[in-house]
Amino acid sequence: MKESPVQQEKERRSLFGRGENSTVIMMLVFFFIAIILIQLITSAASGKVVYPSFISPVNLLNIIMQVAAVGIMAMGMTVVMVGGGIDLSVGMLASFVTIFIAKSIMHWGIPLWAALILVIIVAVILEVIMGFIISRFKVEPFIITLGGMIAFRGIALIICNSQEISTQGALAALKTNLIAGAKGPSGLNLTFPIYVVVFIVIAVIIWWLMRYTKYGRRVYAVGANKNAAYLAGIDVRNVVMSTYALNGLLVGVAAIMLLARVNTAIITVGQNLEIDVIAATVVGGVALSGGKGNIWGTFIGAILLGSIANAMNILRLQSEWQFVAKGVIIIVAVTVGAIVQERQSRAQFMRQIK
Amino acid sequence: MPDEVILSLKNISKTFPGVQALQNISFDLRKGEIHCICGENGAGKSTLIKIISGAYQPDPGGYIEFEGSPVSFTHPSVAMKLGIQTIYQEHTIFPHLSITENIFVGMEITKNGMMRKVEMRKKTEEVLKYLHSDLKPEQLVDELSSGEQKIVEIAKALVLDRKVIIMDEPTSSFSANEIDNLLEITKKIKERGIGIIYISHHLEEVFRIADRITVLRDGLHVITCDASEVDEAQLIRHMVGRDASAFYHRDFYPVGETVFKVENLSGNGVHDISFELRRGEILGIAGMVGSGRSELMTLLFGGAEKTGGKVYVLGKEVNIKSPMNAIKNKMCYITEDRQFTGLFLIHTIARNTIIANMAKTKKFLVNPKKEIDTGNQYIEKLGTKANDSRMLAMNLSGGNQQKVVLAKWFNTNGEIYIFDEPTRGIDVGAKQEIYQIMMNLLKEGKAIIMVSSDMPEMVSMSDRVLVMKSGRIAGELKREEVSEENILELSIGGKKI
Repeated sequence: MKESPVQQEKERRSLFGRGENSTVIMMLVFFFIAIILIQLITSAASGKVVYPSFISPVNLLNIIMQVAAVGIMAMGMTVVMVGGGIDLSVGMLASFVTIFIAKSIMHWGIPLWAALILVIIVAVILEVIMGFIISRFKVEPFIITLGGMIAFRGIALIICNSQEISTQGALAALKTNLIAGAKGPSGLNLTFPIYVVVFIVIAVIIWWLMRYTKYGRRVYAVGANKNAAYLAGIDVRNVVMSTYALNGLLVGVAAIMLLARVNTAIITVGQNLEIDVIAATVVGGVALSGGKGNIWGTFIGAILLGSIANAMNILRLQSEWQFVAKGVIIIVAVTVGAIVQERQSRAQFMRQIK
Repeated sequence: MPDEVILSLKNISKTFPGVQALQNISFDLRKGEIHCICGENGAGKSTLIKIISGAYQPDPGGYIEFEGSPVSFTHPSVAMKLGIQTIYQEHTIFPHLSITENIFVGMEITKNGMMRKVEMRKKTEEVLKYLHSDLKPEQLVDELSSGEQKIVEIAKALVLDRKVIIMDEPTSSFSANEIDNLLEITKKIKERGIGIIYISHHLEEVFRIADRITVLRDGLHVITCDASEVDEAQLIRHMVGRDASAFYHRDFYPVGETVFKVENLSGNGVHDISFELRRGEILGIAGMVGSGRSELMTLLFGGAEKTGGKVYVLGKEVNIKSPMNAIKNKMCYITEDRQFTGLFLIHTIARNTIIANMAKTKKFLVNPKKEIDTGNQYIEKLGTKANDSRMLAMNLSGGNQQKVVLAKWFNTNGEIYIFDEPTRGIDVGAKQEIYQIMMNLLKEGKAIIMVSSDMPEMVSMSDRVLVMKSGRIAGELKREEVSEENILELSIGGKKI
């Protein structure tokens, strides 16, 4: 029983139809609408309806700036998780990277460019070590990267003697505003720093890598079924290891962006970042069991989680509430995603029987 | 009373989705007898003992009597409490505990909540002595051979005063000495009035110890008789003997050049395997479960390390170190477990279809649109029931999933196809379709190696059959010699090779 192309087209466009990312897109839309409505209503209640500041150009750029570093790390986490792994060490690895750079340029006299290249190589090597152990000895990635997280914290603290190091603006170039002088409708200056461009470029590259290359197909295959992947001629161990290597590269880049933003290398820079990164990834539809999810979903997931903190600020709510909101959104997103998928499966199955 | 019945099954049936595993089986076990159950793979032996041990519930209509009164084994612990002990093929032993501890685990002798270690040790010692065993109660089970571990399980049954012991393939992976010893012990303990159900693929063992023999075939009871009334040939005839409708009638094609050749191949538990495979033929690999058939296939496909021997593809010697090598050498492997080793269930048909061919192409980029087209082409070609190739593999039925696996391999354009249980868990209609697809491969001049436990399939589909036993080739049957009797005789018969 073949359907006409028109029918298929319709199906894809329907609200809960095809498209792995429908859930997260809907969540983002709902969230934006909700915040806008709240702003409109509260302003109306005080007598004068004003344009909601949440969706002002300045604020939208703000959100994407705040999201950039976590977003880049979430790209790496997506690759790792699609390949069937997980990496808890990314937060502490990011802290280590910032401290390593600051120490190199401020105390060890290494030129900035060399320090950046060196630190990325080190980050990749550290991830490759974990990836090697995970893929060769078939141990749980959760445990190995937990060990990595604790060890990286220790290494970072040893390097910096448990102190913070200021970079005195050495990385200011990454903050260069590409649209200097542009003003929003409200007259505020708009900023669009280079590191946002880096984030978007990386997202596009990883999206392309996962969707249009043989490598991407192999990562998905390994995450979905390691045995079948092996028998289909895939070098499972090296594919798994490579996902961690790629993740190391991206964490390195993300940590440089972080350092450029905060100007100070300190152990708390990356603390608990892994939670935000994994949250963005799973909200974006990546399955913990591997083989499922995509970069576009993760991108939206990262934006969604980033807008929560931002919205809480704008609504002048206590910042503690953002944890509650984030938690609820993670739970809702993943649950709704599961329900939608179950429904699609059943529909496909029924059609087949018919 | 020597003929007193201790356990009796009345009209037991068991249905699984799509399969009738047992149909109206009635079966008696007497006190102090060794009752052997024989049958091919899939005859229903394992299902039967799982019902007796309480692991499965029979379908309504049948019931079990124990010592004359009806019982219902709702859980394995119920059967155990009544005194039925099952000794499974795989060991159910705690390796880091001593013999005594293994015997009493969960049944410790206690007084006021304290364990009576001395008493437990003494009882163990007595039984081991009775079995003429040199084992010591405090030895760790870890250090024992698999033959000795079986003795510990028997000792456990004796210590706990069991009335019925079920032994499922107890001698697999045993040395000749260990087999002798176990058979002696088995004969000895029946003198205590214990009823013993003994399942074995080795007819030689069966005739050495059986008092009575029951034969099952395709879930049906064929015959129960005294062991002295039958000989090996008769027994095999009871195990086969289906009517002609069970067989598939295939066309034969001219057999061409040799495409695949193996000389003295060893590794992964198989030894000294030699054969040739030619274009346009199906080489059947028969043998009981555990004879090393699937192990051989894994070895051929590079999934395990070979320890010796040579492999030739299209006349050239090759060293297949991984499935990737195998695919590059035009080999395809349709595994016996679709869901575990064949499919990416959460991915689309299209992605499943293109995945194996990636090992052959050098292209770095993929084209999602082309993948969908390729997927759709195979849906049409193989008659897969799916709307289009963007459908997820997990939403297909078994037969259609198997077609997706086939599409994956056809897309690599291979020459040598290994089919491991090609139609397991597939309904009759889809079975015929799979056979037709195999025929089309032969017509195109491809070569097929087929492993199957389905005897009619083996007999009707194969050009030649290699029979395996204990990791070796027990014999080869030419087209005119291929029959159920001959295959069984080689795979379970006492004939030495």
